Amino acid sequence: MEWDVAACTDKGVVRPANEDSFRISRDRSLFVLSDGMGGAANGEVASAIAVEAVIATTHENGSSAAPGKSMPRPEFSAHANDLVRSIESANRQIYEQALRDAASRGMGATIVAARITGSRLALAHVGDSRAYLLRANVLEQLTADHSLVAEQVRHGLMTSQQAAASELQSVLTRALGMDAKVEIDADEIELLPKDSLLLCSDGLTRMVSETEIAGILEQAPNSQMAAERLVQRANECGGHDNITVIVIRDSGRSKGWFARFFPFWCSNIV
Amino acid sequence: MSLLIVKFEGSVLQKVRVNGAPITIGRGPDNSIAIDNLAVSSRHAQIKSEQGRLVIEDLDSLNGTFVNNQRVKRAALKGGDVVMVGKHSIYVDESDRGEAPVAEAKQSATLTKSVDETFVLDTEERRRLMQQIASTGERSQIAPSRVRVATLVRVQGPIDEAEYPLTGKLTVIGKSEMATVRLNGWFKPKVAAQINRRDDGYYLGRGDKAPTVNGSPISTPTLLKDGDLIEVCGVTLRFAIKE
Repeated sequence: MEWDVAACTDKGVVRPANEDSFRISRDRSLFVLSDGMGGAANGEVASAIAVEAVIATTHENGSSAAPGKSMPRPEFSAHANDLVRSIESANRQIYEQALRDAASRGMGATIVAARITGSRLALAHVGDSRAYLLRANVLEQLTADHSLVAEQVRHGLMTSQQAAASELQSVLTRALGMDAKVEIDADEIELLPKDSLLLCSDGLTRMVSETEIAGILEQAPNSQMAAERLVQRANECGGHDNITVIVIRDSGRSKGWFARFFPFWCSNIV
Repeated sequence: MSLLIVKFEGSVLQKVRVNGAPITIGRGPDNSIAIDNLAVSSRHAQIKSEQGRLVIEDLDSLNGTFVNNQRVKRAALKGGDVVMVGKHSIYVDESDRGEAPVAEAKQSATLTKSVDETFVLDTEERRRLMQQIASTGERSQIAPSRVRVATLVRVQGPIDEAEYPLTGKLTVIGKSEMATVRLNGWFKPKVAAQINRRDDGYYLGRGDKAPTVNGSPISTPTLLKDGDLIEVCGVTLRFAIKE
């Protein structure tokens, strides 16, 4: 499958600086987004360390276990385990930086990272930055927020509507850089023709409803326009926080069996 | 030195140390204690030190300032007092000796931390809250307890297993090699239907086929209940919450 990828970021309307960071490695189909926190300049430092560390420590073919790293989870592929280990490394780097430098104390970051190998998507995340899958016109969140309100919804103490209106949405139960170790959620799914993926920071999802996000992803002619429109819409709705989105869509250019068997006839179509 | 502890529904949102400068309370982000709630006026009240005593003054707010449930225009505060502004409470702690960690001291010095700024629970507080949540929320489908697992049970159809525990976020029924419920056969779709674990439960959605739940076809993702019968591509499965 071939992917049409675009990203867009903006500091929003209210915040003085953009503390989100993202990185894309096209040759590895690796997409990383992080939302930093910790006031002053530290939030952006933390999120930048996070995305750089994931890009730098993810291996070409998924790596073997290195000493001092957690055991690979047998239910996941090498690529997914590699992604988890690279996020562990990002956590350690932020944590150690904060220990070394008093001014950086308390800084942290969320992370959501996606890697596509063939049609297989490996996903890992910590915090409330999200991954969504748009399939058959239905938008499904692939990540479960590590926030206090999401935890309460999962335990049946709150409805998702109450959670969306809560003033405690910003209270996270997990983030990178808080401790020497962090619990990372991972998942793997198979992608299908016409699927779209969205990685985003909470600056989008707090401002724009999922129905509207789905509509924008469906209607935009390409990823670039979808990404720009999502950010623009979040700003129109108030832009209370930094907004970052990465849109990944099946370009529809992968060759079907017909084109593979009859390349000569199809060469001017594909 | 006094410490003001801002709480909302039992959770601590902010701690502010009183160190001479007046502490302003209001909806705007420029307040020392910013409370982003419509019940709070943009400049609601202020707390200052007068001859070594803390005094709170209501700045003609619409919904009032309450000290120990009494509406006040101006009142002296002592340790243990509770100030209510909208639904937020501010506890006055006189026992504080000012030995706060660097991060907290910095926070109170800048006095700009607003309620909607992201922060992370520390390990201890997280453990306490999670235990509290877990002990009150037993009945949920999603609660990650070891004894309750959402499962698809085969009722009929040519599939390999009798039971499929739903462990992942997205469960696929189809011919895909990553499908949980693997369909065999030439014309079976890669994804006939899928089940997504959302925060509030398991939702069945269509793939290339529209599945039925208890005999009725679904158009949008549908929340599954214990005992629901799912039918797709000639396979019938029962959704069960297993103890």
